[in-house]
Amino acid sequence: MSVGTQSYQLSDYLEKLPGTTFRKLYQQPSTAFAIFRRMLPPLAKIFVQALLYAPSPLLLKQLDVWVKAEGKAQRDRALSILRSLHIVSISVGKDKPQEVHLTTNFQNSLRLALEGGGSHGSFGVPSTLPVDPTIDIPYLDRYARKKWEDILHYVVNSVGVHGDGGSGGSGAGPKASVKDLLLAGRLVERRPDTKGGIAITQAGFTFLLQEANAQVWTLLLLWLEAVDRSATASGMDSIDMLSFLFMLASLELGRAYDTSALTEPRRNMLPSLVDFGLIYIPRDPRQYFPTRLATTLTSTASALRSVSSAFAAATAAAPTDATALGGAAPAPAVGTESRGSIIVETNYRVYAYTSSPLQIAVLALFCQLNMRFAGMVTGRLTRDSIRRAISYGITADQIISYLAAHAHDQMARTAATVGRPVLPPTVVDQIRLWQLENERMRTTPGFLFKDFDTYDEYQALSSYAEEIGVLEWKNDKKGMFFVSKYEQLRDFLKSRKSSK
Amino acid sequence: MPPKRKAAPAAAGAAKAGRTSAMSTPGPATPRSLDSSIMSEAEEDFDEDVTEAQKKREEMLGQEADEFVNSWALSSNRFQNKGKDKHYDAATHYFGGGKRDFSDLKLKPDYKNRPLWIDPLKGVIVLERFNPLAEQATDFLTTIAEPKSRPTFLHEYALTTHSLYAAVSVGLRPRDIINTLDRFLKTNLPVSIREFIESCTQSYGKVKLVLKNNKYFVESVDAEMLQKLLKDEIIGKLRLHGTEEVTTSYAPTMGGLVIPGTQNAAGVHQANLRKAGKAGESGEEGELFATLNAEEDDEDDKEAVHAFEIADVNVEQVQKRCLDLGYPILEEYDFRNDEVNATLDIDLRPNTSIRPYQEKSLSKMFGNGRAKSGIIVLPCGAGKTLVGITAACTIKKGIIVLCTSSMSVVQWRQEFLKWSNINPDDVAIFTAESKNKFSGNTGIIVTTYSMVTNNRERSHDSKKMMDFLKGREWGLMLLDEVHVVPADVFRRVISSIKSHSKLGLTATLLREDDKISHLNFLIGPKLYEANWMELSQQGHIAKVQCAEVWCPMPTEFYDEYLKASSRMKRTLYAMNPTKFQACQYLINYHEQRGDKIIVFSDELYSLKQYALKLGKVFIYGSTGQAERMQVLENFQHNPNVNTLFLSKIGDTSLDLPEATVLIQISSHFGSRRQEAQRLGRILRAKRRNDEGFNAFFYSLVSKDTQEMYYSSKRQAFLVDQGYAFKVITQLANIEKTPDLAFATAAERRELLQRTLVDNEKGTEEDVETDDLFGKVRGKKKGGAWGNGVRRTAGTLGELSGGQDMAYIEQNKAANRGLTKKAQKAGQSAFFKKIAREKERSRVGK
Amino acid sequence: MPRAIRGVLIECEPAIKSIIVHLDSANNDIIIEDLDESHLVVKENMVHLLKQKLEDRLKETYRPEEPLADSE
Repeated sequence: MSVGTQSYQLSDYLEKLPGTTFRKLYQQPSTAFAIFRRMLPPLAKIFVQALLYAPSPLLLKQLDVWVKAEGKAQRDRALSILRSLHIVSISVGKDKPQEVHLTTNFQNSLRLALEGGGSHGSFGVPSTLPVDPTIDIPYLDRYARKKWEDILHYVVNSVGVHGDGGSGGSGAGPKASVKDLLLAGRLVERRPDTKGGIAITQAGFTFLLQEANAQVWTLLLLWLEAVDRSATASGMDSIDMLSFLFMLASLELGRAYDTSALTEPRRNMLPSLVDFGLIYIPRDPRQYFPTRLATTLTSTASALRSVSSAFAAATAAAPTDATALGGAAPAPAVGTESRGSIIVETNYRVYAYTSSPLQIAVLALFCQLNMRFAGMVTGRLTRDSIRRAISYGITADQIISYLAAHAHDQMARTAATVGRPVLPPTVVDQIRLWQLENERMRTTPGFLFKDFDTYDEYQALSSYAEEIGVLEWKNDKKGMFFVSKYEQLRDFLKSRKSSK
Repeated sequence: MPPKRKAAPAAAGAAKAGRTSAMSTPGPATPRSLDSSIMSEAEEDFDEDVTEAQKKREEMLGQEADEFVNSWALSSNRFQNKGKDKHYDAATHYFGGGKRDFSDLKLKPDYKNRPLWIDPLKGVIVLERFNPLAEQATDFLTTIAEPKSRPTFLHEYALTTHSLYAAVSVGLRPRDIINTLDRFLKTNLPVSIREFIESCTQSYGKVKLVLKNNKYFVESVDAEMLQKLLKDEIIGKLRLHGTEEVTTSYAPTMGGLVIPGTQNAAGVHQANLRKAGKAGESGEEGELFATLNAEEDDEDDKEAVHAFEIADVNVEQVQKRCLDLGYPILEEYDFRNDEVNATLDIDLRPNTSIRPYQEKSLSKMFGNGRAKSGIIVLPCGAGKTLVGITAACTIKKGIIVLCTSSMSVVQWRQEFLKWSNINPDDVAIFTAESKNKFSGNTGIIVTTYSMVTNNRERSHDSKKMMDFLKGREWGLMLLDEVHVVPADVFRRVISSIKSHSKLGLTATLLREDDKISHLNFLIGPKLYEANWMELSQQGHIAKVQCAEVWCPMPTEFYDEYLKASSRMKRTLYAMNPTKFQACQYLINYHEQRGDKIIVFSDELYSLKQYALKLGKVFIYGSTGQAERMQVLENFQHNPNVNTLFLSKIGDTSLDLPEATVLIQISSHFGSRRQEAQRLGRILRAKRRNDEGFNAFFYSLVSKDTQEMYYSSKRQAFLVDQGYAFKVITQLANIEKTPDLAFATAAERRELLQRTLVDNEKGTEEDVETDDLFGKVRGKKKGGAWGNGVRRTAGTLGELSGGQDMAYIEQNKAANRGLTKKAQKAGQSAFFKKIAREKERSRVGK
Repeated sequence: MPRAIRGVLIECEPAIKSIIVHLDSANNDIIIEDLDESHLVVKENMVHLLKQKLEDRLKETYRPEEPLADSE
């Protein structure tokens, strides 16, 4: 599933961290393990395993044993990732051949993670207190889903297209702290002219159309960054927070864990995690339960797919659909991550089997909605609806991915039997064409330089412009060029003149 | 006779007055009304010599029909309780501002097993095709509703006054409709829908007009209804004196009526044969017979019908009055009991069998043993002609067939001879070229709408013929391509020619002027409409791969385009060299595959240019009859002639069974039915290929021009039938095409210049000589070119003379080549037959 | 001394350039310099208007939307 270029993911976040941070991070086995699991491509994992128990550094080219003849690009990529995550250290190799070894903390921690042992409590300490039987997995799923949807509703309802917004979800929406985070993360921004006072941003759209796991990380990373910015003030340490998140990711769903085994900074994180729906704390706060949103933080894609259907199954058990509708109180919404429910026809008509105001709101972002029945809504993909979405910042690819990800069983089945793609190709092509319609013209403000006295002068100036990266267009024959900035050129000219 | 109705002024008014101006300034906002005027102007000038008084009357009648229909619309106040604004949850406002949130309709517990939802506001029905009950629901829906969208998974239909009218006319009762609909719905039937169905059906179909033994009866199953009518001051007086006030008899049933060519017919035929062969086995046949007729012949269940008689001169008035009262009359013809009109000896040939969907459509027409008047809608290439012929063979009384052109007249006659055993002398043609009658006291006349409706000075023969047509009672009037002809024309046809039943045949009921309602009252309700996708999946019509090829314009062309007048714009986007190259590429590609290709262009200049440059044969309005035949003959049978360029003349029912590829290089404005009809040209193709498509339809459009807009507008109908138009933005390796035209900038510039100069005067003969009705040729007898070229600044002679002559000369080049080839090959059987026909008609048998 | 003129560089397909040139031909108040077949320099304050006019022009060529009122 592709996400827009604006989306900010864990890898982006990690890449910015310095080596010292990594050293700290890798003190925790759960962190090393989580990063190993989720952040590395297969070849990189192979390299790590090769190096894991090596007593001394290996020669770099020994790793080539695992690399196919045509796999040079993959090899380079794997090494590059391993380097940037400070998992490996490669010697410079001026006089002697290059050597590679795992960084110490990472190596130790990963070994511990795989072998078990140690008293680090890195993988959570189970609670010894009795567990309330009503707190089972379905319960936790429902709880998490509701929390998460409140957040999504808040973001969705801030979209201008949704008119006066309505109140979406039930209750007052997410906590103020969460709202602040969304603002700080620029997923929404303050806009006095809208009813709710806020409006969604381009990044906000990307966020909405991402799949749940990516959405959760987006929010968590915003949180970490917020902490980084106010580092001194809050006393919170984003690195430790990240470690804790990785730890949560390793916990078992449905089990209660001991709150008192956590360090105080980590205990202080719990309320926010509750707000995000990652943690559930019963009346007795000595226990805490991770929800599925937490335990799947570092899962692979396939695990996530089964997660979403589990979610759907769980929430389907709750009263939904028409039988509950009809009153003033909105029914508990079916998750956005429900089993495929959207049908896209060759004549651009869209039929979605859903009652969820949230999913309907998301569809309204790029569809023209038409009729709503109990359990099904109809609409169309039109040039206007797609272009409107594009103007808000959603890309054609995002829309197409969303439709494909949520394709109805019938569509998937038919596609499988006839061996054709799930979405009608004509519709997919047209969505992209509609996006192109918007991009017919690229504009760059700047300055046109012309009327040079000599060709040399033109040549010198245009080359310089190119060097400093401001040259947008030039034509040697005409003796003209266009640059985005001109101050440096002006200075360059002056200095040329004076040097003559 | 049904009352006269007139189309709204827009279509007819524009017809006479500003046609030239209307045509030269199209804009995105105007295509709709424009198209209707184009439609009528291009085809035929039907409004000539119609008196002002007549026009006024027609206009008034038209408005009345509209009013009637509108007052019964579902969304009117009659059925909707105004105003409580809905707000169920945060999502409600997305749906028509809340008005179209119907989630309050509760689902039945077993909703998963039921396939339908219904919109209580507009009567839109959504059908789940993958539901277990989908098949039955579909059958039901096609009888009571209009199909709107039929792609793959979910279909949409609309419940309208017309569709209910049609349902009732084929015999469904209101409570049956309501109960069955409720059975298929996921939710309970909304009150508004129930009321709508009840009110509409209360008035429709209650009253029938039946011609029995040459007497007209107003009939109804509802005795009270008849009493009501008799009490009406106007109708009461029209009851024929000297007859019983109200007679009562049994309702008609199919009872032993066998439609030729059907399964039933096959069974009966078998039974008959055996009877003839083995007299001793009567017991067995008796059983067989009984089984066949069992369903229809249940004496005990017969309903009583009541009727009173009226004089035939008062029929129209009675019809109008009933309509005013809100009870539109259905026409039925009890042909089995018609002793007065001579029976026609006609039957389908023994080895002719009709397909299931054809049978279905006819069973709707003959469901109760009488012939109902109405319209049958089948996709092009699905065998409409055979349906008409089978109906004729069922009724077996005098038949008159109305076509859109003299070519189709010839073809219909051919088809009659092909599929039925009728004596060739009993099928006569009435066109500009031949005015024949049949020899016996009954028979079949095939003619054109224009021959029958134009009020111009008639030649002596013509007048005699018209008297002959008007002076008889016909059993069946077959109206071909009803979607093409303006409603006014029908009015005139129907008022001048008396027929007991009328069957309209068409590929689509879509009319850009939206006068379906008028057709309903003039001809009858829609009896049946087939599903395109279904037919193509079942292999009855070809599977078509549709594609739109985007051809960017070279800069010089585009610059000119931006500055040009509307007319010149059209020429420019047709003469786009990139489009030319694309056309060449596609022709090349498909000829190599062994396909037969037809290239359409509405724009005459480009048609000629393309054909000449590529050295292909072509036919347009001015092409002589003999030459047309020859070219067609070669296209069908000559392995060296694989591509044929056609102008609009090809839009009529020219039978071209072997085309598998259709390339459209220019098309007028955006008529959806046109696109559908052109698809029909290739829908007959049966040859299979690997990709699973046996036919291809390419629409070449110039990028960034108005043509793109019109193109998509035209496709709308087909897209709703389930066709998907692929967009091709690049043709692979087009540069490698041998002798690629206009490959250099110089050539392109030259083309641009030439195009601009040739079309400067704006006096291209363009549309007008593309006359469907062969008027151009007809006029050779001595009339002026008058009407044919009325819309241009000058006649053919005034055009850049020499060049034009050169074109005509050259045009003969490709076509001439054929003659020689034909001569070498000897005349084909087809050609010989045509010659024979002509001979015979000349001799005047 | 060369001249430096403030403006906005437009990069587009030739067809779009044709439309812009055509739009400019009315009052000659949009284009500062015609660079080549896919580049132009236009006045900064005309960009917004240009985009609008271009959109209007191209609207003529787009797939028309079936009004939802039609059957629904």
